[in-house]
Amino acid sequence: MDRKKILLVDDSSTVLLMEKMILSKSPYELVTASDGQAGFDKAIAEKPDLILLDVVMPRMDGFEVCRRLRERDETRGVPVIMVTTRGELGSVETGYQSGCTDYITKPINGLELLSKVKNYLGE
Amino acid sequence: MAHGNGTRRPGAAPGQRLQSVHEQLKDLIESLREQRERRAREASPSPSVSSEPSPGESPSDAAPEVLDLEKRRLSSELAEAHSEVARLSAEEALLRRRVAEMEEEHRRLSDDYVAVEEQNSELASLFVALERLYASADRREALAAVQEIVVNMVGSEELGVYRLEASGGLELAHGFGLARARPDRFQAGDGTLSRVASRGALFVAGRGEDCEDPDLTAAIPLKSGGRVAGVLAIWRLLGHKPYLTDLDHRLFSVLESHAGRWLSPVAE
Repeated sequence: MDRKKILLVDDSSTVLLMEKMILSKSPYELVTASDGQAGFDKAIAEKPDLILLDVVMPRMDGFEVCRRLRERDETRGVPVIMVTTRGELGSVETGYQSGCTDYITKPINGLELLSKVKNYLGE
Repeated sequence: MAHGNGTRRPGAAPGQRLQSVHEQLKDLIESLREQRERRAREASPSPSVSSEPSPGESPSDAAPEVLDLEKRRLSSELAEAHSEVARLSAEEALLRRRVAEMEEEHRRLSDDYVAVEEQNSELASLFVALERLYASADRREALAAVQEIVVNMVGSEELGVYRLEASGGLELAHGFGLARARPDRFQAGDGTLSRVASRGALFVAGRGEDCEDPDLTAAIPLKSGGRVAGVLAIWRLLGHKPYLTDLDHRLFSVLESHAGRWLSPVAE
């Protein structure tokens, strides 16, 4: 059985390491990118099953990455979970307007992250 | 009479069997009514009616015996059905108890799973914090790591790392998101941060300790070789994080024990 591929996009190596620690217990193939542009490029090249996307990043922020992914046929249906330090309504609304599927707030709760990832991967 | 209906069907539900018995009783009553009407007709004076029973008809004195026999048979079936209902009710109660036990077991396992996952997440956080501090090659990287730990793992976007000077004063070595009101320096004995530096003990707001700064959430002494080398001050938490958790306190312990070495003069 093919392993599901998850793209982790965050400019913080601490967050990337944290996400990898949480998700590596499950049989996922994890791909990382450390800024918005690199995240967008990898989303096109790697065709992930799900994307965890930070909001505040250099070169391209998470909202813009998400908007661009939604414009392309090959990435339009990929679930995108925004990872944000801003839990306020306005920020969440902006995320949904950009086309994200769901969001989680930092500090990341491992159980919440796993639960949402499994939910969107249909597990 | 439809005696054939009284045959017990294997696997029939008690309700169906009771229904069958009920229908047989109805048949019996109907049959008795017909017999009574026939006798009434026979008793009326009519030259055309013979006093002899017609062929195939039961003699009138045989009816009470048939009735008695049928009643006994139906009573026996009814008792058997009641017994079956009682047995199945007991079985149902047993199964309900078993389901309740299994649901309780499921709840317990779910709680255990959540607890294990939370513990895993907590260990992962502590591992990541230590890894980030020990993977730092110099003070700049270490202070960036402290910032990332506070921002992404504790959940605050306003922090300052103060280095302890030989005079006992504190000087800002690294800040992130600091409000203008936050000083770059604290004189020895000046305020909560200096008190944390001199005592080497953690300050957490809301524990009854006096603090001149209502925005200060925590002040953590950063130690190197058991001696205080600086203080990490954390002001407001993120809007969606109302309070510090147990994990935050463990992260503070990690920072207290392992971040201070980057503030000592030899680390420059």
